[in-house]
Amino acid sequence: MTAAIETQGLTKHYGDVRALEDLDLEVRPGEVFGFLGPNGAGKTTMIRTILDEIRPTAGSAKILGLDSHRDSVEIRTHIGYLPGDLAMYPRLTGRDTLTYFANLRGGVDWAYVDELAERLDADLSKKVGDLSTGNRQKVGLIQAFMSKPEVIIMDEPSAGLDPLVQREFQAMMREVASEGRTVFLSSHTLSEVQRVSDRVGIIRHGDLVAVEAVQALRSKAMRRVEFEFATHVDPAVFDNVPGVRDVSANDHRIVLSYDGKMDTLLTTVAGRYEVVDIATSEADLEEIFLTYYRDTEVVA
Amino acid sequence: MLATITTKTIADRWRGVVIGAFTVALFLVGGMAAYKSVDLSLYTNLPEGFRELFGIGDSADAAGLAYGAIYGFYGALILAGLALAMGSASIAGEERDGTIGVLLGNPKSRSEVLGSKAISTFVLTAVAAIVLWVGALIAPVLLDVDVAGMNIGAQAFHLFANALFYGYLAMAIGAWTGKPSLASGITSGVMALSFFAVGLLPLVDSLADVARVFPWYYLDNGEPLVNGIQWGGIGILLGGSALFAGVSFVGVNGRDLRLRSVGGSIIDRLREDPRLGAVIDRISGSVGVSRIWTKTAADHQALTAISAFAMFSMMGVMMGPMYTAIDEQLATFGQDLPEALMALVGGADISTPEGWYQVETFSLMAPILVMAVTITIGAKALAGEEAQRTMGLLLGNPVRRSTIVLQKTLAGGLLGVVVGGATFVGVVAGSVIAGLGMDIANIAATSALSVLIGFVFGSLALLLSAITGHVRTAVVGAVGVAFAMYLVNSLAPFSEGLDGLAAWSPYHYYLTSDPLVNGMPWGDAGVLVAITAVLVAASVFAFGRRDIRMSG
Repeated sequence: MTAAIETQGLTKHYGDVRALEDLDLEVRPGEVFGFLGPNGAGKTTMIRTILDEIRPTAGSAKILGLDSHRDSVEIRTHIGYLPGDLAMYPRLTGRDTLTYFANLRGGVDWAYVDELAERLDADLSKKVGDLSTGNRQKVGLIQAFMSKPEVIIMDEPSAGLDPLVQREFQAMMREVASEGRTVFLSSHTLSEVQRVSDRVGIIRHGDLVAVEAVQALRSKAMRRVEFEFATHVDPAVFDNVPGVRDVSANDHRIVLSYDGKMDTLLTTVAGRYEVVDIATSEADLEEIFLTYYRDTEVVA
Repeated sequence: MLATITTKTIADRWRGVVIGAFTVALFLVGGMAAYKSVDLSLYTNLPEGFRELFGIGDSADAAGLAYGAIYGFYGALILAGLALAMGSASIAGEERDGTIGVLLGNPKSRSEVLGSKAISTFVLTAVAAIVLWVGALIAPVLLDVDVAGMNIGAQAFHLFANALFYGYLAMAIGAWTGKPSLASGITSGVMALSFFAVGLLPLVDSLADVARVFPWYYLDNGEPLVNGIQWGGIGILLGGSALFAGVSFVGVNGRDLRLRSVGGSIIDRLREDPRLGAVIDRISGSVGVSRIWTKTAADHQALTAISAFAMFSMMGVMMGPMYTAIDEQLATFGQDLPEALMALVGGADISTPEGWYQVETFSLMAPILVMAVTITIGAKALAGEEAQRTMGLLLGNPVRRSTIVLQKTLAGGLLGVVVGGATFVGVVAGSVIAGLGMDIANIAATSALSVLIGFVFGSLALLLSAITGHVRTAVVGAVGVAFAMYLVNSLAPFSEGLDGLAAWSPYHYYLTSDPLVNGMPWGDAGVLVAITAVLVAASVFAFGRRDIRMSG
């Protein structure tokens, strides 16, 4: 099956600055793929490179099996795109804006456009320049979805959206995936990515450091463990336990992050201290994400 | 430089101001060198109205002519234009950019912000005048030209006061409306009207005194270059500036500040009218966004309409009756103009209707107003979309980069033709109303040539925009080259050694053949078309090969 998006050795340098480095990635058809990284990690550079806005220093990219440079116009008949930090033509109304882009695409189903506008509660009669950030973003989202493209690429799409609209937008993304179409979602809103993505890629200083299914990533990752003891316990007892980090103590309570077998951890305290309660929670994406970045800082 | 609002504003703008003033100073050196090689006794016999319009004073020596023509004409316009740009952006510019909120989020009052902007406009206008003054001191030393009896400082001071007047007028309009484009548009109109009124009214004996009503009159009234500072005129210009400053403070404190609003136009209001809405919506909405070129054309319709109206009315229709009203002596006097000076205005004999129109309408204003449209569109076509960060969105659709360049070029071309067409209709109307009997085909040919010269520099702006992605670079580069090429074509014939240089200027292929008399010079038109074609092709090539910028 042809990948929705595929990059091979994709590299982009600006002088001495490595914006992207040898990035190999495959996004499958019918999935919502979350692309994670903090500001300046290379997310936008990657998107702009595969859309032929900027040209790679090395490597190549394909969308739906088409070369991102040679077939760029053909590619854009099959994709919807929402740029980051969205800007549009301030003097056009929302509907004029959508009409303009619809014309460039050879037309769209306006009943579907109206349905999207209703779902997102978007006012298309006002000039874009007079809209708030969130309302402007809704117009941008509609233009990305309105042609029912096979691949939708969005860079920080939730900017300015209120929680209700965010929820509707997440439902729209899942519907796209359920129809066998693909969503590529660049974000640092981790809760959203966690909620809608099938897989995530994490980029760090231009390097792709992990690509995993969200569930696999969470199950592999550290979990938070919270002990409540009957008396005060010196947190130093966990110092030599492999896989333990970030130990903090508060009165009779000790909270730590742990990557290992629970048996080992329990052996450390069992019989030595009176354990009143133990609570563990699976790591969420934010902790996983922070772990990757903490590792970087340690290396640095 | 970020210590205060004043210093930050100066830091933001000083480069443009200094470069603009420095360029004029450089042209002074070039002009003085050219005038030095000409038999200047011819100028003493020039008609007064002609000299006034082109800033040529009574002094018939190289220094006097250079100071008068280069500083009194180009320098005055450029310095006033720089001040106007600064003034219109004072408060209204912060509102347009959406930065007024964060600025006033600090413990600064509106008056303090406006005061800082007013001071920075004052300082930078003074700096520009000082650059001109220093240039005026250095040029005669470099060229060994006698400047005895010349009061260069007085002329620079008058240039400063004149520029400040328009800068603060623009500031006042911006302070009252919050709309920088309205402020610069109205002030430009006032400045253009004033400039032409002061140049043309003295040609009609009964209207000569009316010129005193217009502020431009006080730029050169009393000949400060010869007679020193004219305190009456300075008082009027600086007094007006102070009045505008006071009006600005009242205006900015008495209204709601705008929040990056785009406002509403007359067309927007018509679209809301239930009776006209469907038709207007069709014209301004659906059609305006049907293609890239239609949207580009729609974006620049206001500038085009103003330029076309100015060419039709002021430069077209009005010039016919004006010709019939001018002094008989002036009309016959044109026959005695020196050949070298005729080259400056396109080789025309101003005693004839054709020569009159060539001098007044076609030599400067027609190409300038066509270029105002073509250079603006050329510069903004690509770099403007990048500066507004809409290019990524546009390229997210299935359109080729070459298609974008060519459709934007088409829009610029069509709007240039609109201005040229308005010129043609206006001149024909002026000729018919005044009974001048000018050849319509020749008027069409000359109007077409004014469009073609506009295409050349519009395409240059497009190329610079395609290469750099910077609007300002494209505008400054194209305007600078256009100005330099104009001077090369105008001044090279003055010097025997340099006369061959004129053929390298696109202007050489514009009016040299006297098309209002002789009809379309197809070879010259072909040269202009060829230059345009090469520049557009280079733009397509350059834009197809570079990274798209995410900001201007």
